Amino acid sequence: MPDQPENPSEQDLLERLRRAEEALRLSRIGSFTWRVATDEITWSEQLYRIFEFDPQQAVTLELIGTRVHPEDIPLLHDMTERARTAASDFQYEHRLLMPDQSIKYLHLIAHETRSENGEVEYIGAVQDVTDRRRSEEALGKARSELAHVARVMSLGALTASITHEVNQPLSGIITNASTCMRMLEADPPNVDGARETVRRTIRDGHRAADVITRLRALFSSNGPVTERVDLNDATREVITLSLSELQGNRIILRVELARDLPAVTGDRVQLQQVVLNLIRNASDAMRGVDDRPRQLLIRTRQDADGGVRLSVQDTGEGFEPENINKLFNAFYTTKSDGMGIGLSVSRSIIEKHNGSLWATANDGPGATFCFSIPRYADAAAARHG
Amino acid sequence: MDTRPLISVVDDDESVRESLPDLLKEFGFDAQAFSSAEDFLSSDWVGQTNCLILDVAMPGMTGPDLQRELTLRRQEIPIVFITAHRDEHVRPRLLAQGAVECLFKPFTETDLLAALNTALRVS
Repeated sequence: MPDQPENPSEQDLLERLRRAEEALRLSRIGSFTWRVATDEITWSEQLYRIFEFDPQQAVTLELIGTRVHPEDIPLLHDMTERARTAASDFQYEHRLLMPDQSIKYLHLIAHETRSENGEVEYIGAVQDVTDRRRSEEALGKARSELAHVARVMSLGALTASITHEVNQPLSGIITNASTCMRMLEADPPNVDGARETVRRTIRDGHRAADVITRLRALFSSNGPVTERVDLNDATREVITLSLSELQGNRIILRVELARDLPAVTGDRVQLQQVVLNLIRNASDAMRGVDDRPRQLLIRTRQDADGGVRLSVQDTGEGFEPENINKLFNAFYTTKSDGMGIGLSVSRSIIEKHNGSLWATANDGPGATFCFSIPRYADAAAARHG
Repeated sequence: MDTRPLISVVDDDESVRESLPDLLKEFGFDAQAFSSAEDFLSSDWVGQTNCLILDVAMPGMTGPDLQRELTLRRQEIPIVFITAHRDEHVRPRLLAQGAVECLFKPFTETDLLAALNTALRVS
């Protein structure tokens, strides 16, 4: 620090103290000391203000307990217990329930010191982080709503466009067939007219089929896939995107990404779509599960044949063995709001990558979906070989 | 003089323009098809049309645009809308604006005939 006199006067010290307290007040930080052996606690003025206690009151753990949010009382007990036994630095976040029923979020950091006779004393700071937590919550909520809206909109827009594209030729087919019927029922029958309507019926039938073909093409590759992709990285990004959705669905996520995983060749975004689809399917499959933990395990590893494998294992509803072949059919779905194109599209993306996508029932509840694709070097050798 | 009612079909979809007039003729009506609202407006058939079968979504002038234009011109032609967008909100809005019916493609000949009979009774 600049210009500090070597022996500050008492006045200087008081002035410095005043400034420090002012800074603490501005940053809503209170400080405390806690002598563990005697439970002697001292609080700064600011900490009294945060707890909204009268500064004349003596601070005890019992008094603190009257302000701590009832749901966080176990946390408080846990914290004091550990502090007594472990005697090391600690930090905690907990809530206060104020007399007017409002909630404050506090962040506490404590540093362990020892007095000359070896007694443990904690010196700590408590910051009121209510505003920050509020904005984090609002941000998280807005983010998950946005993700939901984007998902629903893209699916809604897709459904509307498919409906329109298919209904046009269907309309032609039905009108032509109606006309045909009437022409054949006439006396005498109008065979030439009927033949023309049948020709148009066939053409419109093909038009409807073309719509479906184009739909599949839309989701498969546009051009060669030669990008070098780190599947672990790509998967991490997808997990980050899915976190709030998974947390909202009370899912316990475990991620085991293999070290030294070889790179694969492919279209990064398309592979991420597949991973995202598998994660969402797993999450949706656990929506109704309440009698066991909703666990999601995402793993990568290298296969014996050198391929790179990603698996997504859930503890959801699973599937009946007789339905295993139907899972990958377009428009097969177990969800009330799904179109059933996710797995079908995912499989066609993986097959474009010269890989395979399959499902197995778990020994316990739930299902595991895996895909395996050749690693970068093998794919490159196959192209040049 | 031909006394059969004239139904005009305005739709940018070719298979509708090909198939619907034939069915209308089988019903016993006269029929004309137009690929756009603009084509219909500039044709000689506006004043002679007894009922309009009108696609909702078309490039350029849409079905509802044509409906408004006809109202401005005081051409009171009953309109049966047809649309491939199965949007349940669209139908009440179009009916409120004076359309006789709004059919979702694909529609049955029974529904079409019922709508046309209503339309021709109105006119």
